[in-house]
Amino acid sequence: MADKRFGMVIDLRRCHGCKACQVACKSENDVPLGVWRSWVKEVEQGTYPNVKRHFLPRLCNHCEHPACVRNCPTGASYKRPDGVVLVDRNKCIGCRYCIASCPYQSRFLLADEKVADKCTFCAHRVDQGIVPACVNTCIARARIFGDLNDPNSEVRQLVDSHPVQVLKPEAGQSPSVFYIGADDNAMRGSEAG
Amino acid sequence: MELTRRTFLKLGAAGAATFAINGSLSGAARAMELKLGGKDISRLTRKERQAIPSTCMQCVTACGIIGYVEDDRLVKLEGNPEASNNRGRMCARGQAGVNQVYDPDRILYPMRRVGQRGEGKWKRITWDEALNEITAKLKAVRDGGKPEEFVFHYGRNRMSWILDPFMNAFGSASVGNHTSICEASKFVAQQSMWGPYQDVNDVANAKYILVMGCNPLEAHTVHNALCQRVIDARAAGARMVTFDVRLSNTAARSDRWYPIKPGTDGLVALAMANVIIQNGLYDEEFIETWTNVTVDELKEHLAQFTTEMAARESGVPAADIEKIAVEFATIKPSTVISYRGMVSHYNGMMNERCVMLLEAIAGNIDVKGGRCLKRTGKWANPFGSPKEAKAKIGAVDPKKDYPLAAHKVAQEVLPRIGKGEGKVQVYWTYCINPPYVMPDGNRQMEVLKDEKAIPFHVCSDAYYSENAALADLILPDATYLERYDPETSPSFTIVPFIQVRQAITNPLGESRPTQDVLMELARRLGIGDFLNGIKDSAEYLRKAADATEGLKDVGGWEYIRKVGAWYDKGKKPDYKSYAKELKPEDLKPKSKDERIVVDGKTGTVYKLDKDHPDKYESDKQYVGIRIGGKYYKGFKPYKFPISGKFEIRSALMAKYGFPELPTYIPIPTHQSMKPDELILTTFKVNVHTQSRTQNCKWLTEIHNDNAVWINPVTAAKRGVADGDLVKVTSKVGSMEVRARVTEGIHPGVVAVSFHSGHWQYGRYCSGKKAPAGVGDGEDRHVWWKNFGVLPNLIIPVATDPIGGGQAYMDTVVTVDKTQAGRG
Repeated sequence: MADKRFGMVIDLRRCHGCKACQVACKSENDVPLGVWRSWVKEVEQGTYPNVKRHFLPRLCNHCEHPACVRNCPTGASYKRPDGVVLVDRNKCIGCRYCIASCPYQSRFLLADEKVADKCTFCAHRVDQGIVPACVNTCIARARIFGDLNDPNSEVRQLVDSHPVQVLKPEAGQSPSVFYIGADDNAMRGSEAG
Repeated sequence: MELTRRTFLKLGAAGAATFAINGSLSGAARAMELKLGGKDISRLTRKERQAIPSTCMQCVTACGIIGYVEDDRLVKLEGNPEASNNRGRMCARGQAGVNQVYDPDRILYPMRRVGQRGEGKWKRITWDEALNEITAKLKAVRDGGKPEEFVFHYGRNRMSWILDPFMNAFGSASVGNHTSICEASKFVAQQSMWGPYQDVNDVANAKYILVMGCNPLEAHTVHNALCQRVIDARAAGARMVTFDVRLSNTAARSDRWYPIKPGTDGLVALAMANVIIQNGLYDEEFIETWTNVTVDELKEHLAQFTTEMAARESGVPAADIEKIAVEFATIKPSTVISYRGMVSHYNGMMNERCVMLLEAIAGNIDVKGGRCLKRTGKWANPFGSPKEAKAKIGAVDPKKDYPLAAHKVAQEVLPRIGKGEGKVQVYWTYCINPPYVMPDGNRQMEVLKDEKAIPFHVCSDAYYSENAALADLILPDATYLERYDPETSPSFTIVPFIQVRQAITNPLGESRPTQDVLMELARRLGIGDFLNGIKDSAEYLRKAADATEGLKDVGGWEYIRKVGAWYDKGKKPDYKSYAKELKPEDLKPKSKDERIVVDGKTGTVYKLDKDHPDKYESDKQYVGIRIGGKYYKGFKPYKFPISGKFEIRSALMAKYGFPELPTYIPIPTHQSMKPDELILTTFKVNVHTQSRTQNCKWLTEIHNDNAVWINPVTAAKRGVADGDLVKVTSKVGSMEVRARVTEGIHPGVVAVSFHSGHWQYGRYCSGKKAPAGVGDGEDRHVWWKNFGVLPNLIIPVATDPIGGGQAYMDTVVTVDKTQAGRG
């Protein structure tokens, strides 16, 4: 059997920008103030009274071809066989190459430890068979997590049966985070987070 | 069912299994291949953390939660999958509950004021000293024969199980609350029509959702439960139309957003009702059988509320009102979610009556997918019931000025105390922050500082709030994660449930649950007979659980402390509960001094007894309603002795000189506005609850500073650009605030959130450490420097004369660019 490849589908027809994911992540992963592994971007557009606001939850895309891993000089950034991209803090020298090379601005430097950090797909939970904290708490059940290589998984079936979008497909990273129903304007310029 | 060890173990195992995952609960999402929750793993040690179920109190929704503990420290909170309302999910506020426990500005020991009141000088004292002092003061009040001069004023109160008997045993009914700064006018309207206050929009089964002055995707009194069902309904194809002065996230996620002039929602509802009646789209059976008016009477009354008239007043186009009305009446099931945006007005109570009328004629009352009566669970009460205290000071319940304000008039308590409407000896505040949450905060503070008006102010709080800063004695309260309460909430499955609140960690420092403090004081004051020997809140809850109907059959305390929630798994939703026929025994007198009689005109069946010997004057007398020779449960009155039918025509209203049929009451201050004046409204955001979550660093990191929303056209007229500082001035004050120029707001309105602008409440939201603060928290990582403004300071005390609610959404203001904002 092929390796697993973990991925996430975010159904923006359900997301209402509540930011429960954003805070759950802070709590689960003890993320300090000032930096975010998971956040929600908002875009407002239109002219009164025909105005819309769109939400775009953001996190590391756990790309299949991650530039951050390629550009890491020490091997601290690595991709596991199941597709989860992680940082080994013992090997990280805080050079910021990975931060600069991520097309999604998903990485940051931890001020105290001086190492690169980002979303881990809650690998510590996933390894024990539990979904990431953001998926657990999503009020809208807009986030679906699972094995993209399993034809029976919900993520695989959603990706196959819906017109899904990824951020910056032209960057050639092959993200493992897919969006359903994303607004084009919200998807553009999302490197700013 | 007979409880044996065998059945108990079986049920216990079932409880544990559903704890891990219950795919069927997850709505649209099917079960994922990984577990959704129910256990948590330490990121560092990879060990499973201890899980303790409880109930959230970051807002009033009361979501079931699981606290995860590692080395005796609460490290994570999640939704409890066994809780039927929130189904294992939790909002941002709930997730940040951990911050409440470990706030570095938490008060951890009793403190007595040593300088002037409000000067901020405190001395640490022992609990024994604090309790001795309070006991002596309260004893003196009681011995003086005026128990009502002890005033207890609470805000978010989930401890009425101890507070009510305590106050009754003491003999004081001088109890203030906070309902009228929220939705009291809605509640009063509902009580005048269908009995109980509050409603449950059964949106999970609705196909058409009309939102009037509510933002259920960001905040609501049962937010998480309602929010996730709105989303499920939308995903299943339900349409949603929202009326709001501003593009809330709910408006943004609706099919259509209609910006509406503040305070005209009720008129739009009447115009829709008119369209429905004139086009024959109404529910004739409900109107003719279950209301106290006829279709013909309604037709005649509603004819005046044309769509053109509603369009003129509200700004919503007449054709759209007509279209929405027809959709509402024909795309069924349908319902209206109405809340504070619609009722926090001078005419708020009447607006809700209009919406209730609309729901009634469309046949939506207590039906699947419609507007349902609330179903809440019932705990046993192991306490005795002291005789109800009657003595109270006028300031806490000014019935002489507001005869129908059944939820009191919280915003006027301190101003009236200041005017001498009742002498106060001891004023005890609990989970309330009048200087911050009440209108005209400066006036509220003047009274709190006045030692003649309030000679002794005891404050129970876990944090150094603006109110605590004006106390004489601060008692360090335990947080909701360190205490015990019996819990329930209106059920969105239409099957009532109960939940436990239990300590996930022990109270930090010397903090103590106010519940336990009141029990201790009852003993010290010699009024503790009602305690029945129960020593603390943990023991109370154990005894309550073991005696609660249904729960006791599955294991009582042992069950609920592990599972966190209980409901009757075999029970189905009992829609149209009012149409349930009474049994012959329901119509028989319960004692020999009782007589059951029927009012020939209204059909009300009620009892006469020694307390009420000759007429129907109390809701407690109600038995049922006779319709066409049959006897039904009807709409059971609460407080107001209404008939048991759905009262569109209100004799109660007429009795006090208010309009007896739902009508439009224009807001007086809005009729004479000058061309440059605007209406200021306030709103909540999805990461804060009123005044009391801003000490949570994870929330305040997201929302700290606030800005006033202003339409580009309105801004341009004043030369205001996005980010400029503007001065917003009302008749009671002014504030300088940044402008957020946005297309998402009505041009005649400016709106600002009310979670910022703290001048106390700790470092994260005010930049000021509390006098008793411990440690430096995450000070080195705090990056925000602005703490925003508090609009309540410039909003005058303005009370809906019928419902008693504070009209927060009516304030007439001018907006000008400040000097600093120029150039």
